Amino acid sequence: MRKMKILLGKELLDILRDKKTLIIMVLVPILLYPAMLMGIVLVSSGLLASQKEKTYQVAYSAEDVPVQELKEFYEENKEEGDTLLEFLPIEEGKEKNRESYDVWLTMEEQELGAKITVEYTSTNQDSDYAMAALKKLAEDYGDKLMAQNLAEEGLPEAFLTPVILETKDSVTASESMGMNLGGILGMLLMTNILLGAFYPVIDSVTGEKERGTLETLLTLPVNSFQMIMSKFIAVSIFACGTAILSLVSMTGSVLFMFGNMGADMGKLGIKGEMILGWIPVLLAAVLVAAVLVTALCMSVCVFAKSFKEANNYITPIMLVIMLASMAAMIPSFQLDYKTVLIPIVNVTLLVKQVLGQQLDPALAGITIGINLGVSILVVWILSKMYNSENILFKDGFQSFRLFERRSEIKKGTVPRTGDLILCLAVTLLLSFYLGAAASMKHPLGSTVVMQLLILSIPFILVWYIKSDTKALFSFYPPGAKQVVGGLLLYLGTYAAIMLAGGLLAELLPDSTQNVETAFALLMEYPVWLLVILITIMPAIGEEIFFRGLLFGSWERQFGGAWAVFLSSLIFGAFHLSLVKLLPTAMLGACFAYITWRSGSIYIGMGLHLVNNLFSLMAMKYPHRMGELLPILMKTEVTGMDVLILIIAAIAGVTAGVTLLNRGKEKAGGKKVL
Amino acid sequence: MMIEVIDICKQFERTVKRGRKSEKEEFLAVDHVSLKAEAGEIVGILGPNGAGKTTLLRMLGMLMTPTSGEIRFWDTAGNLISDTSKRKEAIGYLSGNTRLYPRFTIREYLTFLGRLYGFTDKETEKRITRLVEMFSMENFVDNRIEKLSTGQTQRASICRCLMADPQLYILDEPTLGLDILSADTIIRFMEGQKKRGKTVLYSTHYLEEAEVLCDRIYMINDGKIAAHGTPAGLMEDTKTASLRETFHCIFGQTLEGGNKHYA
Repeated sequence: MRKMKILLGKELLDILRDKKTLIIMVLVPILLYPAMLMGIVLVSSGLLASQKEKTYQVAYSAEDVPVQELKEFYEENKEEGDTLLEFLPIEEGKEKNRESYDVWLTMEEQELGAKITVEYTSTNQDSDYAMAALKKLAEDYGDKLMAQNLAEEGLPEAFLTPVILETKDSVTASESMGMNLGGILGMLLMTNILLGAFYPVIDSVTGEKERGTLETLLTLPVNSFQMIMSKFIAVSIFACGTAILSLVSMTGSVLFMFGNMGADMGKLGIKGEMILGWIPVLLAAVLVAAVLVTALCMSVCVFAKSFKEANNYITPIMLVIMLASMAAMIPSFQLDYKTVLIPIVNVTLLVKQVLGQQLDPALAGITIGINLGVSILVVWILSKMYNSENILFKDGFQSFRLFERRSEIKKGTVPRTGDLILCLAVTLLLSFYLGAAASMKHPLGSTVVMQLLILSIPFILVWYIKSDTKALFSFYPPGAKQVVGGLLLYLGTYAAIMLAGGLLAELLPDSTQNVETAFALLMEYPVWLLVILITIMPAIGEEIFFRGLLFGSWERQFGGAWAVFLSSLIFGAFHLSLVKLLPTAMLGACFAYITWRSGSIYIGMGLHLVNNLFSLMAMKYPHRMGELLPILMKTEVTGMDVLILIIAAIAGVTAGVTLLNRGKEKAGGKKVL
Repeated sequence: MMIEVIDICKQFERTVKRGRKSEKEEFLAVDHVSLKAEAGEIVGILGPNGAGKTTLLRMLGMLMTPTSGEIRFWDTAGNLISDTSKRKEAIGYLSGNTRLYPRFTIREYLTFLGRLYGFTDKETEKRITRLVEMFSMENFVDNRIEKLSTGQTQRASICRCLMADPQLYILDEPTLGLDILSADTIIRFMEGQKKRGKTVLYSTHYLEEAEVLCDRIYMINDGKIAAHGTPAGLMEDTKTASLRETFHCIFGQTLEGGNKHYA
């Protein structure tokens, strides 16, 4: 710790001494927000003003008597704020000079009113505005005539308009204004954080290498963890500083704008106190985002040898972050239990929601938690990657094998974290696009595509990097003891999952329902199809992907425990649902542990099959299942049930783990690759 | 301080073209090397470019871990030091790549080191004052390192190594690219440390320098030790009059042999 502190002091001083950094980090956020908001206010109020002040020329034939009446009506009923119109009588025979007026008006009297013709040029803005003003005038005039006519017949106005439709938007003007502004500001905030983190990261990580001071640092009695953490903390401090400055500047500008920008803005009435009350939440969210952005930038910069290379590596990250934060500007895109799962995006959405004065505190909490969790994960991976020898003396991306030429890859290579993440991303992306295309052909199309992708992509990867498929995927037959151990562990885990599921259903009742309805839709298909699609295929494909590829690769790099943790976390997240995250992750951890201790993927595969078959049957034949295993189908859970489940969970997990660890030798006598 | 290296290897990957196919292949940059250096000794590591000198010294300086083999350190009292951090504290490592933070002044940098090595502020200050006197740096000790001349920077680098008063110095071509005056500063520094009973392991291409300075010399080629002995002993063995000729005698054949391939 003492050494970390000293290193941190050094890093901070080093960054502070760099003037460019300071300018970007301090001046930009302070000046940007007021300047931008001023700009918006000036431009928009300027536009409004120019529209209002202008008087539009309405020309008509001097002999057109009815127009005179309309003109009188206009002058009598003119209100402040109405568009100004000037009626210009044109003498008969005079040339119609198109440029001297905006619209031409003719009016014919008819039996119970009049017909008004407006000749205008839609491409001309002034002409267009004048036409719109005349349209409104004509409606008002029509209403007046109608009232007159009805009065003459002795009828009330409601005779013609028995139904009056009045709509009230529950979103007040201030809320929608806030949302729009919030979307822009959220994006700007993220951009500033990026700017604040970007340069210090390159300077302290890549700069250390480019300036040749890293080798010196390595001769000092500090380890690589202390080195990378001190850098990370130092840059985080600066990124957070920028974030805070941006937030202060942004809040100040917004409050100033709504407070002092005259009646137009005041009418919208965003309450300053309201925003101020949310400041702690905003601050927390923005700070976590700053830490996460720092971690992300850092994780690519450690591989760069020069500033130029670092810039190349960091550009995709910047683009992703910018695009993600831009998503907040889409009006209908809001913070809910799905979007809250996407780091970075949820922060910009949070800013938007706060300014729109609609924010669920629980979502705010999850946002902060998720960003923090992901940051910790990235930092952890970073500290693992930051091995002095790899960083200093080797070339390029060590965490990717995929980018090497296949002919240069050795046989038996294990996929690196970069390869795995890339595979996951490709799988998700492809299943999204191809799935969408396939589901147009058939409702089950997307499921089929997803399963095929999950099954095939691991094999493509291991083929390309020439891994030892059998060893990596643990394709070895299991021992009998381990099968029993696995089964017990699964049963224990299942009890634990039921407990967790019950708890979640209490906490998030709505979202559980969503999952159930989605499943219910599937139930109309024949059983054999469902058995193949949501039982057999996932059991094989998901096991190979998550327990074979992910767990297998990580086990060889980080050890079994971390591999179980990471692969199950990703397995949970892969199901793209907050409610399913925990139960799926638990199940994933169970299967991964079994694969780890038994050295065979087949036990997990079998249990996965059983698990999915069971869920399918419970959905398809709830009554029969209820008769068979009453505890599973209960809607009302008693204290006794909970107790039984707790005991079952503990007993099952303990027995399973014990038995799995007692198995004499792992299947296949697992070789370390 | 004594250092003993037992049979260490360092394996790297390199790309080799075989016809149209290029392949990754492993090779040993340092190939089963064993050596020893005692207290009060200057040991030279000589060899052509790419012989594996830098890799060897990096492993000795704890910047790289050997693929196999063992490196042992003993302190002056004869106790084995096994803790990485302690080992690093006992080593002063200097090479062309160990630069100093350009945005720091020499004083700030040395203070940072002093704190890192766990000295009290008073002790750190005392050491810095002594180093400044020793290398007459009064005029630029408070200048940023980026503003210094090459010679001044070199002196600052030596001060960096001296700050913790290590027992073993590992110097990778310390005189490379320096003018005679600056190089002499380094040579005087090495001789001074030898007199103080420290161990110096150093690599160089300047054979005249090594001939005068080194107690013992290891000649390295292709990752292996090609010859070993005192400068006088080596010259005697090869019946040459200077170390330069010895060098030619030992490596000349392999180089000529290499040239034949191109002919």
